[in-house]
Amino acid sequence: MSATYLALEMRRVLRTPAFAVFTIGFPVVLLFLYSGIFTNDAENKQVALAIIMTSMCAFGGVTASLVTGTRAAEERHAGWQRQLRLTPLSGGGYLVAKVIVGMVVALGPILLVALLGGLVQGVSLDAAGWLRVTLGVWLGMLPIALIGLFIGQTATADSVQAVTQAVMLLLTLIGGIFIPVDSMPGWLINVSKVLPTYWISQIARGAVTTDLSEGLGTAILVLAAWTVVAGALVVRRYRRDSARV
Amino acid sequence: MNEKPISGVAAGAAVYLAGVRKYYGDVHAVDGVDLIIAPGEVVALLGPNGAGKSTTVDVMLGLTRPDAGDVRVFGKTPHDAVAAGTIGAMLQEGALLDDATVGEMVAMVASLHRKPMPVEDALRRAGVEELAGRRGSKLSGGQKQRVRFAIALVSDPDLLILDEPTAAMDVGSRREFWGSMRGFADAGRTVLFATHYLEEAEEFADRVVLMRSGTVVADGSVAEVRALASGRTLRAVVPGVAEQALHGLPGVTELIVRGDQIALSSKDSDATLRALLSRHPQARDIEITAIGLEGAFLTLTADELEGAAR
Repeated sequence: MSATYLALEMRRVLRTPAFAVFTIGFPVVLLFLYSGIFTNDAENKQVALAIIMTSMCAFGGVTASLVTGTRAAEERHAGWQRQLRLTPLSGGGYLVAKVIVGMVVALGPILLVALLGGLVQGVSLDAAGWLRVTLGVWLGMLPIALIGLFIGQTATADSVQAVTQAVMLLLTLIGGIFIPVDSMPGWLINVSKVLPTYWISQIARGAVTTDLSEGLGTAILVLAAWTVVAGALVVRRYRRDSARV
Repeated sequence: MNEKPISGVAAGAAVYLAGVRKYYGDVHAVDGVDLIIAPGEVVALLGPNGAGKSTTVDVMLGLTRPDAGDVRVFGKTPHDAVAAGTIGAMLQEGALLDDATVGEMVAMVASLHRKPMPVEDALRRAGVEELAGRRGSKLSGGQKQRVRFAIALVSDPDLLILDEPTAAMDVGSRREFWGSMRGFADAGRTVLFATHYLEEAEEFADRVVLMRSGTVVADGSVAEVRALASGRTLRAVVPGVAEQALHGLPGVTELIVRGDQIALSSKDSDATLRALLSRHPQARDIEITAIGLEGAFLTLTADELEGAAR
């Protein structure tokens, strides 16, 4: 793997119109929209604004890292993966490059939403809080980038969009990003706890409120477990895929 | 694939295949292929669809692991040869990105190799300099082929493998393509190309390898194969025959001996056959056909259809 290779991979992602619209546009628009709608009669407007901001950080990060990985489906379909197997790039190198690109592009919406939240919406957190919302949420994207890559390795070029949408809905709605845990019934919270996105939003939520928030240690453990499982699935799938051809 | 130490022919050959087999269930895609290509040779691989050309190519490239047999490319395993940038390959379908420009794709592949040629050189040799800024989705079929050629060239490989390189090219770009391919081969590089166009094989290859049903059925220089075009071809299995002994047969203009299998071109096939049977009574499976390269190809295709119908 080389810097040129990574830079070109990055450029390909950034130039897709869908990337600008979904991963940059949506979280920003929703940040302002939700902040206007849901915070007026909130008991603590500051907390409500901060939670919306952290949710949109997580949303932007999840979209960016998930969708980047799924693009592998088109490369598989086009035979580009096969072409790359005729270069010194190893299978591991290919997969790691995909994850790196997914992680780097996820940084964009996370930082942008946090910046707008702080500067425009007047969210104020202490330094540790901001670190959790940005760096913490960003690191939490690792399993999401791997899940995206797994979808990209599994789905066909035709089905990949539908599968991605379904997974995205599951992760963001049930995972506590769009439906805040405050408004979830108890049983749904239990379901939510299975998903990595629940723990990502918990990393951010902990920076804002202790209400309904989990310890940082547990979140890190669960996300690490997700990373290991998703990573193993991706590697296994890639091996099968290349053995089959 | 075993990793036993190699010496002699296997180490010196550009491509060395010995007893290569690849079965997909009941389908014997490659059924015992022996092939040695010397450095600097330009070899055409011919055969009908399903003859095993693509599988043979995939085995050389390390994309497919053979069930049996030994494969070496310049003395290395295909995997090591690929990692060293020794092999450049132009695959048949796809293999391009819609969302990257031609220049970017070639640069991406170049960046992965240790000693690539400059990206501009690869683009120029493949005749796609003026397309450098164009996205993959905006290329015509012939342009895509030339971009794949640039990608195959950019590692500056010693062995170039081209699978149906001129499919989808018009006559003009086809001529240009072979021009640049020749330029590359003249620098001492080895080229193996699979094609359906017999005239391309005759015009550009030093040697022609015909495959059918996963085996090599004819292998000879272009001159030898061209000679098959005049007169009739006599094929037979003659156990234990010496090539020398066959030269004395009447009417023989060319002959190819592969183990026990012989293929003779004859001006007078009747006389050749009588003499063959009196001198070598063990000869069996005798076939006489009036065919040239194209005829041979058609016969092979017909056999293939019969085989499928059986």
